[in-house]
Amino acid sequence: MKGVKVAEYYGFKAEEYSVIGKGLPRRDGPAKVTGQAVYTFDVTLPGMLHGKILRSPYPHARIVSIDTSDAEKLPGVKAVITGKDTWGIRFGFVDTPRYPADQSVLAEEKVRYVGESVAAVAAIDEDTADEALDLIAVEYDPLSAVFDPEEAMKEGAPEVHGEQIPAAGRTCAWEDWGVARKARSYKPVNNIGATVMISYGDIEKGFAESDYTREDRFVIPSTSHAAMEPHCAVASYDPFTGHLDFWCSRMDMEQKRYWLSKTLGMPISKIRIHKSYVGGAFGGKAAPFDFEILAAFLSRKTGRPTKIVLARDEVFTSSNNSVRFDVTVRKGVKKDGTIMAQHVKLISDMGAYRGSAPVALYLAHSMRDAIYDIPNLLHEGVGVYTNKSITQSKRGHGSPQLSFALEMQMDWIAKDLGIDPVELRLKNLRKKGEVLPNGDRLDSYGLPDCIKKAAESAGWRKKKGKSRPDRGIGIAVGGMFNGSGYWPFTGSAIVKMNHDGTVTLYNGQIEFGQGVDTSMCQVVAEELGLQAEDVNLVSADTELCPTDFTNWLSAGTFVSTKACLRAARDVKEQLLKIAAEIMEANVEDLEAENRRVYIKTDPEKSVAYDEILRYNIQKHGGDPIMGKGFAKPVPEVEFYPSLSKGTGRWTDAYSFTAVVAEVEVDRETGRVRVLKLTIADDCGFEINPLICQGQLEGQGVMGMGDALFEEIIFEEGRQLNPTFVDYDLPRAFDVPEMVTIDASDYEPKGPFGAKEIGECARGAVIAAIVNAVNDAVGGKIGSLPLHPEKIFKALREKETA
Amino acid sequence: MEVAKKILKVTVNGEHYELSIKAKTTLLELLRNHLGLTGAKMACISNSCGACTVILDGMAVKACSILALQANGKEVITVEGLAKDGDLHPLQKAFIDHGAFQCGFCTPGKLMSAKAMLDENPHLTEEEVRRDMEGNLCRCTGYKKYIAAIMDVAQKL
Repeated sequence: MKGVKVAEYYGFKAEEYSVIGKGLPRRDGPAKVTGQAVYTFDVTLPGMLHGKILRSPYPHARIVSIDTSDAEKLPGVKAVITGKDTWGIRFGFVDTPRYPADQSVLAEEKVRYVGESVAAVAAIDEDTADEALDLIAVEYDPLSAVFDPEEAMKEGAPEVHGEQIPAAGRTCAWEDWGVARKARSYKPVNNIGATVMISYGDIEKGFAESDYTREDRFVIPSTSHAAMEPHCAVASYDPFTGHLDFWCSRMDMEQKRYWLSKTLGMPISKIRIHKSYVGGAFGGKAAPFDFEILAAFLSRKTGRPTKIVLARDEVFTSSNNSVRFDVTVRKGVKKDGTIMAQHVKLISDMGAYRGSAPVALYLAHSMRDAIYDIPNLLHEGVGVYTNKSITQSKRGHGSPQLSFALEMQMDWIAKDLGIDPVELRLKNLRKKGEVLPNGDRLDSYGLPDCIKKAAESAGWRKKKGKSRPDRGIGIAVGGMFNGSGYWPFTGSAIVKMNHDGTVTLYNGQIEFGQGVDTSMCQVVAEELGLQAEDVNLVSADTELCPTDFTNWLSAGTFVSTKACLRAARDVKEQLLKIAAEIMEANVEDLEAENRRVYIKTDPEKSVAYDEILRYNIQKHGGDPIMGKGFAKPVPEVEFYPSLSKGTGRWTDAYSFTAVVAEVEVDRETGRVRVLKLTIADDCGFEINPLICQGQLEGQGVMGMGDALFEEIIFEEGRQLNPTFVDYDLPRAFDVPEMVTIDASDYEPKGPFGAKEIGECARGAVIAAIVNAVNDAVGGKIGSLPLHPEKIFKALREKETA
Repeated sequence: MEVAKKILKVTVNGEHYELSIKAKTTLLELLRNHLGLTGAKMACISNSCGACTVILDGMAVKACSILALQANGKEVITVEGLAKDGDLHPLQKAFIDHGAFQCGFCTPGKLMSAKAMLDENPHLTEEEVRRDMEGNLCRCTGYKKYIAAIMDVAQKL
């Protein structure tokens, strides 16, 4: 088990832990295997209406008129709203002084992509709502559209957006969150809606000092998060109290509540986000969505609860897909493989609105910056508006896209220089304790171990270059941050002592599959000498839980669980202090275990937690023992980093993964079968090894989908495959053998040394599989996914050459 | 618009129901909207994800893609009918022990597919299980742990 190395290093034994470091069953298990778990999809309220959205059939068109009169007359229709009802309201994943939020709730003067929301209805049932949509008459005047980002940047290309001018008095999200800079207007020039330029060292000098330089181009399409639960929301506005109760299939509760407050013009304290189970997220449920705001608008207008469930094709077209990147990389190396210079140029085809592209352009760099020591670096990116659907964070957020490009190129460099790909990577790694150019420090750095262990376990030396002609092997690595000080928010927790000596934990994290409900409770139980089942959990509810803004950015373990640990520690300190008073002992002589506080040297003398609680209530003014904890990444830095320049501290710790993939290619058809994935991960300490394995295996198969199958295909801005029939996802039979290896390096700032494990591996899996395929076919396929026809073509080209 | 209704007699998880429904009602709508059995989910409505799988007269079916009236006079078992007398079904136990679910949204469908498969033939190889479970999409787990859970149950039968 994992903790062993850590334990030896720090002079304690992993077996001393009684609750963490163990693959305990998940606490959401019984609810989920019996069908009793309530997802937003299952929420039904008395008198509930069903909302539906009319969507644009055009990629770019002026709205001439909308006639809703027939729809309004249909019996059972309770409300019909159009852009006139939400005119001027703006929201978006990005809303900064530099980039004002650019999305409207319903289209106003024009539509900018196929699937954009144009009107919404609420009716007594779904059939009536559907019928009402058919009765809304919209007259469009189609405009020239642009679908290719390079075309969009040319002079004279259709303009997707005019100047984005914040409404009078409108503050941007960053101002609301305490950044002392005013929102400005933004005028896209040549459809450019975001730019990033990060540099350090001297790039020209770096190339001049290189013995060998190569430049390659890579293309990464949008893929769907394809979370099984479609996006959905239930809004219930009480006209008599002015309160809004809200459920949605989501990630972070604070972000959802903030945007509802801002778009509805309601005090934030009058909005309550409730807990419901979430049927998968993968980054795709973090952003605010128009349909969520519409559910609330319709509920406020009708005074009745309103539910909106997106159909799967709407999830594809209108609730954001992963970020599209076109990557050009020029790299200079010494003969011995030492990297001297790297120049990355990214073009992100953002779609009709910014989505998360400005962030992804930066993150693509920052998450990889902890991997290799590159003395001279230039990272340039532009986000370009086109008339396509919006793009958004997906598991790794920009990093998998760039990992694919950089890790492939590393293999080609290795081949050109005659260096083993494993050796080339090991040679260029950063070092533990190193400070990155932005100031982040690598207190833990398990990457060398990840590479060595993955290679050794997979039998790299025996297999590389020696396998059958139809087989290939490839390696790739990835890095991931652990939450960020970027959002000026906290992860926090309260632990309450119960009458029987158990506790209840209150924390805002939501369980969307990652296992946070279970692992948080394990940490609290461990600290307090309890069993995991002795911890009750109240979570993911803005009214019942303390503020928590960390349900994304891979911050659940490193930040929010640390807050839980600190709250538990607060309770423990109180227990020891009161027990010392009861037993007339010194606090330092006491130990807490099995719901009792003992005197270490004389364990016969002890007092039970419930007795301590009763004593404290009687003797200390009714104090029922509660602990609080909070945590924030990079707490010592008050200000946010610059995304566009890449300066400033970003995170307190990085996680790492190395993946070795082995594939078999059918040389007649170009079809690939992944035989085995060996995934070695540094997550600091595995609080629950079973959950950690699940995260790695999930990323293994998701990454295989990215590498081999998945692509949202557009034609003239229209998605051609927005269904699970036409969009190919990995299924049970595609699953390769998977070996997961714990190669963790204890992270001193993590709770019990732990770091994230949910996002890091995906990018490395994609690149490792592609490297393995290229190894098998001797090709250089640089665009995802590796459809059989691409491989077939590469094989034929090689034969003819 | 007036829609003709039909009488449906069906047994669900051992309970007999007789109700009047629109002919176009799907089996999934019947279960979720009329009977309050929300264990079966809907992720695609194109008969391609398996989240709505239930057992109809011993056969795993996708409840989103058949009409409720096709279940007339038949017996339906849903995930709510798996546990008996407070004891979880061996598949449910195995799913918990193996960590075979994450978000859990597709889990009820998988359990029902697995039950129908093992009821028909308990002596399946892993390859057969993987083939038989092709119809149940999962985005979280990478499939490995739930295939192991099913094999675990199969080997004990």
